[in-house]
Amino acid sequence: MRIHQYEKLWIVGAMILIVGFIVTITYGSVGLGITMIGDEEETIAPDELNDDEQFGEPRVEQVGENEYAAYVVAQTFIFQPDPIEIPANNEITFHVTSRDVIHGFYVPGTNINAMAIPGQVAELTVEFDEPGEHGLICHEYCGSGHHTMEGLIVVQPEDEFDLTELSAETPDTVTSGEQVQLNATVENGQLEPLETTVDAEIGDQTFQQNITVDGNSTQDVTFTAESTQLGVGEHDWTVTVDDYEETGSVEVVSNETAAAEGGEES
Amino acid sequence: MTALFVDEYPAEARLVKAAFLSSFIAFGIGALFGIIQALHRTDIFRFIDSIKYYTVLTGHGVFLVIAFTIFFLVGLYQWAVTDSLERGSVDIRFTWLWYGLMAIGSLLAGISILAGFLDQPPMVLGSELRANVLFTFYAPLEANPLYYIGLALFLVGTWLAGIDWFRTWWAWRDENPGKRIPLRTFMVLTTMIMFFLGSIGVIVSILVFILPWSLEITESLNPLLTRTLFWFFGHMIVYFWLLPAYLLWYSVLPKLSGGRLFSDPLARVVFILFVLLSTPVGIHHQYMDPGIAEGFKFIAMTNTMFLLLPSFLTAFTVVASMEHGARQRGGEGRFNWLRALPWRNPAFTGMALAGLIFAFGGFTGIVNAGMNINYLVHNALWIPGHIHAQVGTATALTLMAGSYWLVPQLTGNRLVGRQVALFQVVLWFVGIVFMTNSMFRAGLVGVPRRTAEPQYQGFDYDVGVGSMGELNAQLALGGTLLFISAMLFLVLMLLTVFNNDSEPIVDGTLPPALSGPEDSPQVLDNLRLWFGIAFALVVLAYALPLAGIAAQSGLFGQDIQPFPVSSEAVIYFQFGLEYVGAFVT
Amino acid sequence: MHTSPAKLLILIALSLVILVEGRTVLAFFGINIPPLETALIGLVVIATLVIWAIRPLRGSPTKSE
Ligand SMILES: [Cu+2]
Repeated sequence: MRIHQYEKLWIVGAMILIVGFIVTITYGSVGLGITMIGDEEETIAPDELNDDEQFGEPRVEQVGENEYAAYVVAQTFIFQPDPIEIPANNEITFHVTSRDVIHGFYVPGTNINAMAIPGQVAELTVEFDEPGEHGLICHEYCGSGHHTMEGLIVVQPEDEFDLTELSAETPDTVTSGEQVQLNATVENGQLEPLETTVDAEIGDQTFQQNITVDGNSTQDVTFTAESTQLGVGEHDWTVTVDDYEETGSVEVVSNETAAAEGGEES
Repeated sequence: MTALFVDEYPAEARLVKAAFLSSFIAFGIGALFGIIQALHRTDIFRFIDSIKYYTVLTGHGVFLVIAFTIFFLVGLYQWAVTDSLERGSVDIRFTWLWYGLMAIGSLLAGISILAGFLDQPPMVLGSELRANVLFTFYAPLEANPLYYIGLALFLVGTWLAGIDWFRTWWAWRDENPGKRIPLRTFMVLTTMIMFFLGSIGVIVSILVFILPWSLEITESLNPLLTRTLFWFFGHMIVYFWLLPAYLLWYSVLPKLSGGRLFSDPLARVVFILFVLLSTPVGIHHQYMDPGIAEGFKFIAMTNTMFLLLPSFLTAFTVVASMEHGARQRGGEGRFNWLRALPWRNPAFTGMALAGLIFAFGGFTGIVNAGMNINYLVHNALWIPGHIHAQVGTATALTLMAGSYWLVPQLTGNRLVGRQVALFQVVLWFVGIVFMTNSMFRAGLVGVPRRTAEPQYQGFDYDVGVGSMGELNAQLALGGTLLFISAMLFLVLMLLTVFNNDSEPIVDGTLPPALSGPEDSPQVLDNLRLWFGIAFALVVLAYALPLAGIAAQSGLFGQDIQPFPVSSEAVIYFQFGLEYVGAFVT
Repeated sequence: MHTSPAKLLILIALSLVILVEGRTVLAFFGINIPPLETALIGLVVIATLVIWAIRPLRGSPTKSE
């Protein structure tokens, strides 16, 4: 086969270029460690997501020192959780799946880019150096509301980040003379123990208790007020732990009212 | 001057004209949808509901990259086979059969798409007639079965077209024992081998999984599997769009330049490389997909990079042929020969400018193919920028330019408005640069593709240079220029068809290459061999990933419900309720 | 005429293209040309090209192509 001299040179040049590209990409993968989303994760059926240990309650979880996992569910037309709160300067591994159709998981202008395919779990690890907010969008057409599908990633300063959760409750009504019990639960999602103070207020009474919540566990605290001291009527209560606050109210009813209502019901 | 194609092969010319007519109708609708999108997504002029944007988007994709390109391809290839073998179809009824299947298929798919504009779509085959699923129709988004049936008929028609050209070639071979396959027929046959092999993916996806599922014969499917089968076909189809342009660049452009093709053997090598490499690369569209191991993505990446080779070879041959032509016309000097080219000829200028854009677009393709760089651009507006440079210009502009040369030979009429035609191709060139430049820049700052409203509530794009407003204005300006150019083209074609009492000034003869087929080894013409190797490469690239996907979550997936785009609001609402219910309990 | 209308048209198109893409390339090096200025540069370039093209050739009779 006759090939022109210049053409031979051109072919050789083209091959060098092609091999150069392949070497560059390979260097990016092996040398710089920019790995691709792969098939490491177990598959999960979309209709079993609610019962799943991880995706049943989409959340951020600490999995090691300076390592967090974020379990994200994409569905028409939201992301869960939203916002996704993560600490700066920590390794975050996103596990993304879809509840219904194929969605995208994309933080514009960054390397955070994955497909959310029902049945599959995409895994990608990133680290944010700076605190700040990043828009998260679905970048695969997923139906009529596709253009409204966005979420938010909030990167918090490392020392301000926690995975503390506070919940608190009292009965709605308490008969005068009985005790008003305020049950608060503090959950610590991080691995290190959490030492903190729980402050509570029921009506005009204040309470304080120091607690230590072990890593990945919860602690219950109960505050008790005498309803007779509070008096009949509606009383607001507040529980604060660090920056978290729960509020509610409890009604103290007189004996007669309670009896009357009880009578009506029966 | 030799006899016109229409006089020599009137029956085949009629078919080519029919195919071009279908192609141009699709082109007109697609172009109209294009400008609607350009104005809508940039928020410059929104006159449709954003939900209907996705009807427009689906139509734009299907009408342009399925109907416009492939109808043109079958017309052009029918011309190429007939003209280069100097014989008509074995049975012209068979030829019309495949055309008819393609026409019916595209009508069905087209109707089911356009029904998306109705507020009360009719019920067809047990569900609302709608197909807002885009041309990629990723399940579990679900269109009306009619859409899939239409696509399937269209594909079957295209298969039969390939078989028809093979039959014509076999008949010719018996009449001309021992002769080399004429170059244009060689290009047609190799393109079709590539198509047979690559379209297996989408045919299986539609016929085995998606269509039965949309008809409720099967209950579930595996979304990653159907998606992978689509991309098995999806990159090959890119070359199916491109190779008609290559055929014109190799056979017609050198002649228009005033010379002849530089090398026939290398043209054959280029087409063989496409047969071998264009299918086992599809996974490069799925770099961001879970469920496909990194190793398979790496293999797809290397294959893709080698696929640059035939395009590099083409760049050389085309430029060398043009230079040869220019020198025949008296051009001199290292670069001054460029001035001697027939720039007044819209057919020449259109193809040359298309080639220029193709070279530029090729480099953006390298970015897409680089698997880790792909993180930056996957599903960003950069990707449609690339597509519009490649199929939207390298192919579309070449086909339009080719029409200025070919349509007079098919109709026997003189081309109307040669100067307007020149302006038209140049306008396309300018328009595409304005539009794609904006798309590339917007894509790099993360503006996504395929969305009616790329502006979001929670954040703004970090546009490094200029502003979002400027990018939008530039995109819309480019889109408008393209639309005007497309309409000019269609008007000129229409006027030419009715320009009855005229004689075309076009010479349909194509001179043989400087270095003819006798310079190439006979093995290049051994189509069985190339098919065999291509098949083996596809098996190597796809057997394991497909088996892996099927093994992970089953051939038919894990109880994946359909999400018909037809009654979306209702379904999503029900679904939301169920979900909230499950969450509360 | 220094050139034919067809070549003038293509030269104008090429200069617009170089302007748009060149502006992007310059932006990568931190040189930003605002849209309005870009448009003005474009007009000047086109005007220059047109004047150059239609200016009669000195010392030779004007001939139309
Ligand atoms: Cu989505």
